[in-house]
Formats: sequence, structure tokens, C-alpha cells
Amino acid sequence: MKKIKVEFNAIEVCGFEGQTILEIARENDIDIPSLCHDKRVEMYASCGVCTVEVQGNPRLLRACSTLATDGMKIETDTVRVQRNRKAALELLLSDHKGDCRAPCTQACPAQTDCQGYVGLIANGEYKQALKLIMEEIPLPASIGRVCPHPCEEACRRELVEEPVSIAALKRYVGDMFLENREIIPPVETSGKSVAIIGGGPGGLSAAYFLRQKGYAVTIYDAMPAMGGMLRYGIPEYRLPKELLSLECNLFEQMGVVFKNNIRVGRDITLDKLRKDNDAVIIAVGAWASVPLRCKGEELDGVLGGIDFLRDTNLHSFAGKKIAVVGGGNTAMDACRTAVRLGADKVYNIYRRTVNEMPAEKIEIDEALEEGVIFKNLTNPIEIIGENGKVKAINLQLMELGEPDESGRRAPVPCVGKEELLQVDFVIAAIGQKLNSDGLDGIELTKWKTILADTNTFATNISGVFAIGDAVNDGASIAIKAIGDAKKAAKAVAQFLRGGKINACDDNPQFLVKDEKTAADFADKEKQARGVAFVRPANERKKDFSEIGESFTQEDAVKEANRCLECGCHDYFECKLLKYANRYDVTPQKYAGESHNRATQADSSHPHIKRNPDKCILCGLCVRICEEVVGTGAIGLVGRGFDTEVKPALGQKLEQADCISCGQCVNVCPTGALTESLFCKKQVPLKEVVTQTTCEHCSLGCGIKQTRSGDLILRHLPIDDNSFLCKHGRFPGEPLTEKSTKISPAIEDIRAAKSIIIVEPDKIYEYGAVAIMEANRAARKGAKLTIINDIANLPSDIPEDTVVIKVDDS
Amino acid sequence: MRISVGKGSCGIAAGAAEVYDILREALGDTVTVTGCIGMCYLEPIVNVDGDTYVKVDKNAAGEIIKLVNNAENNAKANLIKQEDIALLNAQHRIALENCGVIEPENIDDYIKRDGYTAAKKCITELTPDLIIEQVKISNLGGRGGAGFPTWFKWNAAKNSLTADKKYIICNADEGDPGAFMDRAVIEGDPHAVIEGMLIGAYAIGASEGIVYVRAEYPLAIKRLDIALAQAREKGFLGENLFGSEFCFDIRIKAGAGAFVCGEETALIASLEGERGMPRLKPPFPAQKGYQGSPSNINNVETFANIPWILRNGGAAFSALGTEHSKGTKVFALTGKIAKGGLVEVPMGKTIRDVVYGVGGGIKDGKQFKAVQMGGPSGGCIPYELIDTEIDYKTLAATGAIMGSGGMVVMDESTCMVDMARFFLDFTCKESCGKCTHCRVGNKRLLEILERICAGDGVEGDIERLSELSNEIKDGSLCALGQTAPNPVLTTIRYFKNEYEDHISRKKCTARQCKPLLTFVIEPDKCIGCTLCIKKCPSAAISGELKTAHVIDQEKCIKCGECATVCKKNAITS
Repeated sequence: MKKIKVEFNAIEVCGFEGQTILEIARENDIDIPSLCHDKRVEMYASCGVCTVEVQGNPRLLRACSTLATDGMKIETDTVRVQRNRKAALELLLSDHKGDCRAPCTQACPAQTDCQGYVGLIANGEYKQALKLIMEEIPLPASIGRVCPHPCEEACRRELVEEPVSIAALKRYVGDMFLENREIIPPVETSGKSVAIIGGGPGGLSAAYFLRQKGYAVTIYDAMPAMGGMLRYGIPEYRLPKELLSLECNLFEQMGVVFKNNIRVGRDITLDKLRKDNDAVIIAVGAWASVPLRCKGEELDGVLGGIDFLRDTNLHSFAGKKIAVVGGGNTAMDACRTAVRLGADKVYNIYRRTVNEMPAEKIEIDEALEEGVIFKNLTNPIEIIGENGKVKAINLQLMELGEPDESGRRAPVPCVGKEELLQVDFVIAAIGQKLNSDGLDGIELTKWKTILADTNTFATNISGVFAIGDAVNDGASIAIKAIGDAKKAAKAVAQFLRGGKINACDDNPQFLVKDEKTAADFADKEKQARGVAFVRPANERKKDFSEIGESFTQEDAVKEANRCLECGCHDYFECKLLKYANRYDVTPQKYAGESHNRATQADSSHPHIKRNPDKCILCGLCVRICEEVVGTGAIGLVGRGFDTEVKPALGQKLEQADCISCGQCVNVCPTGALTESLFCKKQVPLKEVVTQTTCEHCSLGCGIKQTRSGDLILRHLPIDDNSFLCKHGRFPGEPLTEKSTKISPAIEDIRAAKSIIIVEPDKIYEYGAVAIMEANRAARKGAKLTIINDIANLPSDIPEDTVVIKVDDS
Repeated sequence: MRISVGKGSCGIAAGAAEVYDILREALGDTVTVTGCIGMCYLEPIVNVDGDTYVKVDKNAAGEIIKLVNNAENNAKANLIKQEDIALLNAQHRIALENCGVIEPENIDDYIKRDGYTAAKKCITELTPDLIIEQVKISNLGGRGGAGFPTWFKWNAAKNSLTADKKYIICNADEGDPGAFMDRAVIEGDPHAVIEGMLIGAYAIGASEGIVYVRAEYPLAIKRLDIALAQAREKGFLGENLFGSEFCFDIRIKAGAGAFVCGEETALIASLEGERGMPRLKPPFPAQKGYQGSPSNINNVETFANIPWILRNGGAAFSALGTEHSKGTKVFALTGKIAKGGLVEVPMGKTIRDVVYGVGGGIKDGKQFKAVQMGGPSGGCIPYELIDTEIDYKTLAATGAIMGSGGMVVMDESTCMVDMARFFLDFTCKESCGKCTHCRVGNKRLLEILERICAGDGVEGDIERLSELSNEIKDGSLCALGQTAPNPVLTTIRYFKNEYEDHISRKKCTARQCKPLLTFVIEPDKCIGCTLCIKKCPSAAISGELKTAHVIDQEKCIKCGECATVCKKNAITS
């Protein structure tokens, strides 16, 4: 073949005549995207994302099917090329339907792979489930207890009956390995150090992610122990301190240095931290209670919600009457803590109705059970004192008016209607704010929170980042701070490497969403939501012991199996998603009519599932099936916008001539064609690959076995040029380690230069592994002789010959 | 005595078959069939010894019979008018030289007019190189639309030495809305196409010819079939032609009517029994075509020009036309033209020459607004550019293209947005669905155009259309996708105000987009006849007899029926 020289972006490379631009580019590691190309099939050029510019040609050319010529000057990344590729991707996405990620994952502020770990639990892979959770959440047992779980709000199981108990499942695996966490081995330090101010969930998580990247991390915290609001804002009965401490151990084991009782601004300055470290993350939280702004607030016995929860033991509530103002989770925590401190009566004062309360419903229900008196539609006007101490609280009765900006109906005073409550303490749990003392020079927002980039969490000071409750929108939930921490850790790492700070560069976008209604799940069998044991109210309200227990294993598996498997099973391999992110597409740009072929989804085949809503008509499946496999089980039907891929004559795939080789699945760039995994609960997971050899017959085909932890997921051909029959690709059971153990005899065969197989008639029945190895050796150059009769063994058998006798015994 | 009846598809549609039967019964063998002479607006046409009678109905046929029988008659009433003869004489017919003149089902008629002399000369006297040289001198460009030099394709196919077998293919998959040049040529002069293919086959060394003709042209297929049989009988097709070693035959392949199969690579795929989808070039068909063998594909009109060129010499052909475009071009004049039909004019004539000089101007004395050239792949040319020359380059500069010859004339009652929508609707239906830009992109263009026509256009839609159009042109695989946005881009270029009217003012000035119309009864004009009330299909009009009626806009479905029936023109929109 004649050698040619071509230029890619002014860099000269060599190729051969007859090669396409794409082939030469790939051989030289020049990245040109393509969704419809496979070297085994004829050029096709349907997807339109491989376009390039060639000097002297006014048109954009498709790299996949344009032959390179000597001296060709190719530009792969011009503005015009990028714009056209982007348009192609956006057009494809306008008729591509499905959830890249499940609604639970999309709803999680830390984008935890809920579907992934729930699926792993359903398959009994607890350790792997925990590992997956800990890719995003280093405090799984704690967060599993306290998280208000936006994931469950989004869970589609709601459309069947009730959401999956995702948080409780997280707690389950978190608890399971509480004392024997698998620690990611501490990485060698890069020589750079980061100081983190605040050891709450955000600060701890940031330390965790930075430590994984090899930075030395020290956390400075004003309180005596780490945990932040988890320790000092969440009552013991919801999150036992001992358990939190166990989880905190992990960080020290990783090499994170804890420095407690150090308040920045009092004990050390921000400047000093900046000087001593290469970067600083502020994760100080929002620890100041928002005042009630009503008369009498200065009286003895008026407490801030957060202050009360932090210093629970400072007050003697026995036999006292307590009013807690506010409708959020902190207010509920305060109410229930007051109950446990022996208060006579605990009132909750909230200006709207119970329906508008921001607290979790379970918290409200449990508070009710524990005897908290809800004074809804009331608002404090004045706290009345006697001798400087709280004696009563005067309440304005309210009613609901028109909806306000938040969409909730605004409370309006009922003029002249008041109520006087005799109380000894008033706890104001109406909000928290940042105490910015000591954060000199940091720019604040008009709400007096730290102004941080929403993407990178960089502040106005170079090298200083800020996350969690202290920034932008202010106090939120722990998982939000943890999500911030991961993104900020990425940004800090980018900063420390001296590159451009853009933490989101490898953050996957979720491109498309599916709209589902209850009707879509009408055929699902109803299965009540699993609930772990909760102690009876009159027992639990007397002490601070944890109110409930973790799932039992049986319940956890059962609950995890309720998952509807919403997220795309091709998420980790989808090329469309990969390129869409790379080209920063706007998926909605060309929104218009899109096909709804959900009813045509074909799961008739025992191993291959077809989801036509995700098909982008690259034609690879059709071509590989026809040109390589020689079967033609599927084809293109119809034309124009309504073209689709399906088996002939409206058949199901199972009825078609499919030989179950799975090649169509291998080449499908999206989730339009997927295979059944070996595991019972189907779940998209990041896979690791090991190699093994098929034992079905004597051919001994190589197999790429994919797994997640110990869970074997799929069998794939060893490379793009290989082929597995249905016995190799979709055996009933995966090959296990035991079955692939190599015996010494096999070692001999592998090393042999000459092999003789006797009695080939019996090959199929006996010694398949030995013969398969012999075949492999022969392919690698060993001389293979097959004879029918042992008596005919050649007299001059060379040395290092292995004779495989196949007998009936 | 020779009497011929124009029995092309157009003539038959106008009643020529009946006229023929009447004449034939009365006058016997002297009555023959001919093809379409091009004056569709005058069909049925009967020629009696050189005198042309037009719009011949049963009565007129009777008068002609009387005339032939020397009885007293009024045949004169149907004699063609001088002005129509003038329009015919303003043309220059090469490809159409025999159309409407000879009897297409009689090879001898063709032979009488020097038929097959060019082929004989080529095969017995000329070398392939000399033939290609003549075609090169003629500078004949592919009449399918792109105008690519025919000699170049022939030469490439001739020089392709890799295969034992080569093919010559005639593309008769005419699919542009409003275009019927190829049909008329095959129906009227099939032997010209056969002879053209024969010469081409000899020049490139092909042994088999295929005519890919759409199945919706049954008459063309029938006449071609007859012509092929006659040519074989006469020894113009088959073994050892004209005593040489050269063997060649032609077969017909009826296509199922997919527009995209007019694209040569899709046409080849279809011939091979595959799904009709284009593929990327190169390799060009001349290198790797039908069944992987070198193949040459030309359009019907291109082949029809070949015998003339070889008879009269390439120079005679290139003497006509402009610097870049030589010879003549056949156009199917349709739309709001006064005298529509098939015309052939030399290159270099202006659009005005064609519309007014050959087509008799605009119907009903209305104003010329634009012509759409090149069908769905082409673009529109506005009145300001009416003096644009018929020339591949000049036309391309306007944003339109020469195309295969469709020329749709539009007057002030044509909405240009609706026109673009119409063509996009066509290309969307005809897209093969293979490549992303065309399959989804054109669909999205259509959706935007549809919403604009429905009065739901939003600010930014014009920019959206332009931007997406450019990406589709850049990213589509074949000419169908690459050219599909042309009607959109040219209408935006020349009639942007109409788009703005639709989007911002919610007005369709041509009053074609019904959702943008509001039908109102002018009280002082309405005489209260209740005719509109009776005709309104949605019972939207109310009013007493002899009092002004009123249209309930809520109920009105904007069908326009009321305005059509109102005798007092009291209903406006």
C-alpha cells in the first residue's frame, strides 16, 4: 500500500492510500467523534458528527467516509466544524427520549448514583453499594439517617404506590460496614496543602475528596469535635454522636489532620491559613439563629434554635412549658428535644398550616406522636416577661391569603384575634445565618452569605473557596454541602495544578428526561414501601436513644427490588451523551415533534432489549447484523423523520432470525439496544473488565467479563474483531473464577510447541477446556495434529509435545 | 394526408384519447399518434398536414373529419392562433425536436428524421475518444440539474478499466413537483433517448443500459418498451451493432417513486434492490457504480441532446448559449403562467424571455412575483431579477439553481412563506431518513415554517431558520438534504418582509395562510341574501334576510367559502 502524508491541524502524520480520514486520525490519536462508524462495516456516514474541513474544499467532509489523499490538509476543530457537529448532536437529541440518569440521581444535590447502589443492594452486593455511595458521600450512615432525601421525592415508584426508601437503604449499607470501612489507600501527597475551615459535612467531604487527590488537608473547627451541624444541630435520637464519631474516624485514617477548638478570627487568622497553605476552603456553616424580631426577645428564656440544640444540657426543661417558633426541621428537632428533656408542654408556633411546613412529614408526624402541640396559623407578637424572665407569649392568629412569591399561600393576620400562651421558654427556630466574623476580605452577598461561584465555589480571593450553608443561598441540607464539596475539591485541584478552574468539565449533564405518568406503570404490581422498625412514641420520647433501627437484610433487599430501574442502562457507555457533553449542547434547542415509541419497546428477546425511543438511526446494528453476522435480523423501515429500526414484518426480535450474538448491542452507541445483565436486578454500573475464555466448545473464544465488585455483569467479545456466539455472550450463568482456574496441564498446553489431539470425535463431549487451549496455542503458532486412533501416534513425537487423550472415562 | 393527435399524458388528460378514437374511426390509418408538442394549455391538439388545430373536443373533431372529407366545416374555429405560433417559434428545439412531430411508437418515423444516423456514424466511423471530443466541444452539461460536464463523466467511465462490464444508466426518475420534461421526451421521442444511450455506451464501453423510470409514468414505460423492441428488431440494439463488435442492449427498471432515487447513488442502490439511500461520493459511479462496476448516469434530456450533437457537431451546439452554459434547456412552465407547458429555449435567454416571450406572461393579468426554479432543491427568483439569464452560474448566484427544468411561476396571490413550507413538506416526506441533518433538521425547519403559517411564529424564527438551514446545507450527505433549505433561504433573502408580516403582524399579505385571515362582512356592501349563511360549513354566519350578516369569529374555520360565494364581494379577509 502506498504511504501518504496528511496534515491534521497543521501536524503532519502518515497513513496509507485507501484509508479514510477517520482511520488515519484514530491511528494517530487525533480525536474525531463519530456515532455511526465501525471499521468492520461499509462506510455509511449517517450521523454527521465526524465532519472536518479540508483545505481547498468548500464543503464540510465526513471523516468516516472520505478517503485521505496525499498532501491533504485537514482541520478537525474549526468553529464551523464544531458548530455543525453540535447541530447534529442537538438534532439527534431532539428525537431521543429517555432518562440518562434516574430521577433520584438527578434530584440529589450531590448526584449520588441512587439507582446504582439500590440496584447493588437488590443484588446483595452491599460492599460495592457502599463503595458507590462513598464516591459521593463519605458519611453514608449519618446522611442515611438525617438526609431529607430529595431522591425519594423524585422517585417514580411514587407513581405506583410509594417511593423506594432510598435513604434507609443508604443507612443500611452505611451501618453494615461502620467499623470496617474500606479505606481508599491514602495517596502520596503532592506536596501541596489545603486548609479547611469547618468540620461539618461540607468540610469533611471536601477533605475526603482532596485527600483522595493527594493533597495534605487540615480541618480547623471551632467546636471540640468534628461533625459540625451533624453533631451539634441534629439531636442524638436522630443521629447518635458515637456513630458520627465512627464515621469521622475514616477521615483521620485517610490522613486528614483534625484541629478542633480553633476558631478562625479568634485563634488563627484567615490570612495565616492562606499563607501556610496552597488553598483554603471555607465551610463554616450557618450557626447564628435568625432573631424573631418581636418585643421581649431579649428576655431570659428566649433561645435560638441552633443554640438550644447545641447546648441541650445547659437548660433544665423538666416540668416547663416551651414554645418553639418555626416550621422547619430544626424547629421539629427543638420540639422533640424539649419533649425528651422532660418539658410539660411543647408548643410549635407556625404561621401557616401544617401543609406548608417545610419540615419533613415524618418529623412532623413523629413530633405529633410524641405529644408536641401544634399551634398552626399563629405568629408571635410579643414575649411577655416577669422579672426579666419569659412568662408568656402573645400570639397573633393568622389565616391563609393569596399565594406569595414562593407559591405558598401567604399568612395574613386575623385582626383583633390573639392568644396568650403561658410559657417558660421560647425557642426561635425560624432560620440560620452566617456568622462572618474572621472572614476578613471575603465578599458577601446582599443576604450576608459568602459570594461564591456556583460552579467552582471560588470566592473573590484567589485560592479561597467557600461551600455549604455559608455561601450564596444560605442554609440548606447536608447533602447539598457534600455536593458542593466534591465540585469545590475538583476546582481546588484544578487551581493547585495551575490550570483553568472549571470544576464541571467532567460533570456529566443529564441530557434528556422522560415524562412518565402513573398510566405508564399501570401494570406494575403494588408493593408497600419498606419501613424499618421505629420505637413506639411513648417509649422513645423518654430518652435520647435512636428512634429507629436499620433495615434487616431481607427487608433491605426486598425494598431495593422495588426500584423501577429508570436510568438509562447505557449511561456509562453512551457515546451520544459523551459527545453531547463535550460539545456543550443545548438539548432543547431543536425541540419539536418527537416520536413516542415506548409501546414498541421490545423485550421479547431473552437477552436483548430494544428501546426505539433512544435510537438515533446510525444504522450500525442493521449493518453489523447484515454485513458481519450475515443474518439481517433487523432492518430500516419507513423513511424520512419516521424511519425506524426493527425486525422485518413487524415481528418481535425473538421471532426474527436473530442468533443472539449481541453484536448489535455491542455497536449501538446509545441505550437503544441493551443486553440483560447476569445479575437479577438490572442496574447500570461502571464496570471493570477481566479476561477469560469461553468453555462452551473447543473454540475457546476469549471473553471480556465485566463486573462491579464481585458482581459479574456481562460477557463481551475480547475485542472489536471478535465474535461470541450466544453460548459465550449470553450463557445462563456467568463463568466464575472457579471454572476458569487454570490447571497445571493447561499451563503445559499453553507452553507447548506441538500438540496432538487424539479421538477428535469426542472433542465436544470431553476435555473441552484442554482442547480449547490447544486450539488457542495452535492459533499462536503451535503445531496441532489431530489423529483418530491412539495406535496411530507418530513415532517421532518431538520434545515439548503435549498429547491430549480424550477418553470416555 | 397525415393527421396526428398529440397523445402525451397531458393530451390524454385533456381528452385526446377520445378525439383520436373518433378521428381514427372516421379516417382510418391516416390518423396517427404523436407526443406532446409542449403547448399544454391548447390540448388536445390535432395536426392535419401541417395545420394545427387546438382545444379539439368531440365537436371540433367532427369538423376536422368534415374538413378532411372536403365537406363544409367549421374546423377553422380551432385553428391555432398566430400569437401561439409565435410563442412556439420563439423556442429553439433540440431535445424536443421530434416531440409532438413524429409518431413515437413508430421507429420508421424517427429514422425518417435522420434517426440512428448519429449512432451508426459513431459506431462505424468514430472512436470513443472522438465521440467524447465532440461532446466536450458541445460543452453539454448534465440536464438533471447540476450541469456537470457530460464529457467528463463519460471520459471517467471510459477510463475506468477495472471491470469487465460497464453500465450506462438513464435517470428518468423525474420527481420535482411541477416538472414533466423527462416524461414528455420519453413519451414523444423515445428513440432519441435510446440513441443517446447507445452512443454513450459505445463511448464508455458499456454493454448494458438501464433506464430507471418512475412507475408513475406508465405511458412513458409503454412507449419506451415498444421503442426498445423496435430498435432491437432493426438491429440498433443487440449483438454486433452496425456490423461492429459492439454489443449493447437496454432494459427498463421501474422505480417505486422515491424522490431521493433521482440522486445517482441512491438510484444505484435502488437498482441493486437495496434501500434507496444515497452514499457518499467518492467513489463516483464512474469508478464504482451499479454492481460495483463503472457506471455512467445521465438524465433523459442529456441523452436526448446527444444524437443532435453528433449529427450536427459539438460546435453547432456550443454556438448556442452563454459563455458557461451551452445549448438549450427544456423547461416545464407551470403555476400562474398564462400559457403553461413544455418549452425549450437557448441558454442565455432571460427569465423574462421565458415567462413573457414563450409563456405568454402571467395568468389573468396579475403581477409577476417570482419563479421557483429547480423544484424543492432550487430557490425563488424575484421580479427584480427577472432579467437574469438562463445560465448555470448566473442562476446559482441568485440562490436558485437551473435544476432539471421545473419553472413554477408565482403571482401576487402566492404566499412565499407558504411556498417554502410546501417545498419543505415535500423534501421531508422524500428524505430517505439516513443522515441526521436532513432527517431531523429539515423536519425542524418545516415545523418552524408551519408555525409561522399558522400564525404562531415567534421572534427569532427567521434567524432560527437561516441558522439551521446553513447547518443542514453544510452537514447533509446528499444533494437532497444539501439543497432542501434553498427555498427557505431564497424566500428569506428576497421576501423577508413576508416572514416578518407573518411573525410580527400576524398577516399574510398574499392571503394564503388561512389561520392569519379574518373574514369580515362589510355591512354596507352586504345585501343580506343569506347565500353565505347557507354555504358556511361551520354555521358561523348569522343575519336576517335583507339585513347585513355577521361572521362569528369564534366559529369561523376560515375556509373562505363565504367570500367565494358572495356576489357582492362584501366579504373581505
